[in-house]
Amino acid sequence: MNLFQIVALAVVGLLAIFTLVALARGWATRRETALWICVWIAAAVALVWPNFTTKIAKAVGIDRGSNLLLYCAVVVMMIGFLMTYVRLRRLRRDMTLLVRHLAIRDAADPTDTDADPATS
Amino acid sequence: MRMTTSSTPSEDRSADWRRDTYIVIAAYNEGTCIEPVVREVREQYANVIVVDDGSSDDTFDAAKRCGAFVLRHAINRGQGAAIQTGIEFALKCGAAYIVTFDADGQHRVEDIAALVEPIARGDCEIALGSRFLGTTTKMPATRRLTLRLAVLFTRAVSRVNVTDAHNGFRAFSRTAARQMNITLDRMAHASELIDQIRATRLPFIEVPVEIRYTEYSLRKGQSSRGAIQIAIHYLLARVLQ
Repeated sequence: MNLFQIVALAVVGLLAIFTLVALARGWATRRETALWICVWIAAAVALVWPNFTTKIAKAVGIDRGSNLLLYCAVVVMMIGFLMTYVRLRRLRRDMTLLVRHLAIRDAADPTDTDADPATS
Repeated sequence: MRMTTSSTPSEDRSADWRRDTYIVIAAYNEGTCIEPVVREVREQYANVIVVDDGSSDDTFDAAKRCGAFVLRHAINRGQGAAIQTGIEFALKCGAAYIVTFDADGQHRVEDIAALVEPIARGDCEIALGSRFLGTTTKMPATRRLTLRLAVLFTRAVSRVNVTDAHNGFRAFSRTAARQMNITLDRMAHASELIDQIRATRLPFIEVPVEIRYTEYSLRKGQSSRGAIQIAIHYLLARVLQ
């Protein structure tokens, strides 16, 4: 095992620990945790046995293992972007509902000349 | 005037509709023109709701000076969000009819009656203003082309036969307003409303209205590039719903 493999494996190990901590603290669901643990195991396998990825790559019609990893990384990134976009949309929606609730609660009555929702 | 669905409206309405009509105006940084617009509307309609969508100028104070109900979004959320806020507040106030009206002086107060009266008579539940059935003043050719393309887009995607897709001048009965729920915060809400009209099968008509284009309203309006962004937002929202 070369130095890069050792360092990368340590990083993957830390990320796996962080994933388990996130589950324990309720930051992530069981399903999300299971998905991420699978990703970290696959990364560890690819680091320790690089030839293994080449075997899988050839089995699916790709010449090199590194190409297979690149394609997988692109797909995972696309899914990540989509999930982030969906989460961002939900967050914006919640923000709008909150802003609306406050606006309606603090509506300035035309008969009340002093009311200002920013200060009242 | 064009009747466009086969459903029948649910109830007869009072002839005294002006008292029960609430005008919703979404405003963002309209401090220079909101006052004359609100004053003009209030000459004929007592209930005006201005939703200040997080303006950084004096839109809030200007609208308040005119005797309107004024709501303030703490942060800017977009025209669709502001209109929905205004509609929900109007419903809370007991509005029987709700009209959405632009803050930049493009719409004519005289046209409000043309929108609300068919609803008050019980002919329909929703009235959509159409500049292409009515008259427009000083509309640039690029704007006309963009709006025509928007109409074709709406007809193709929403499958509703309208003549004007993004006209902010509309009127809703209380029944209709309660069934509308704008979730697209920005400009794509206009297409979302058309989808909801189709989904609820509420009877609607298109009413000719006059749109007055001024240098100010053109500056505040959407560019052609903005129209493409609106279409992308709308399509993404439909896919991810």
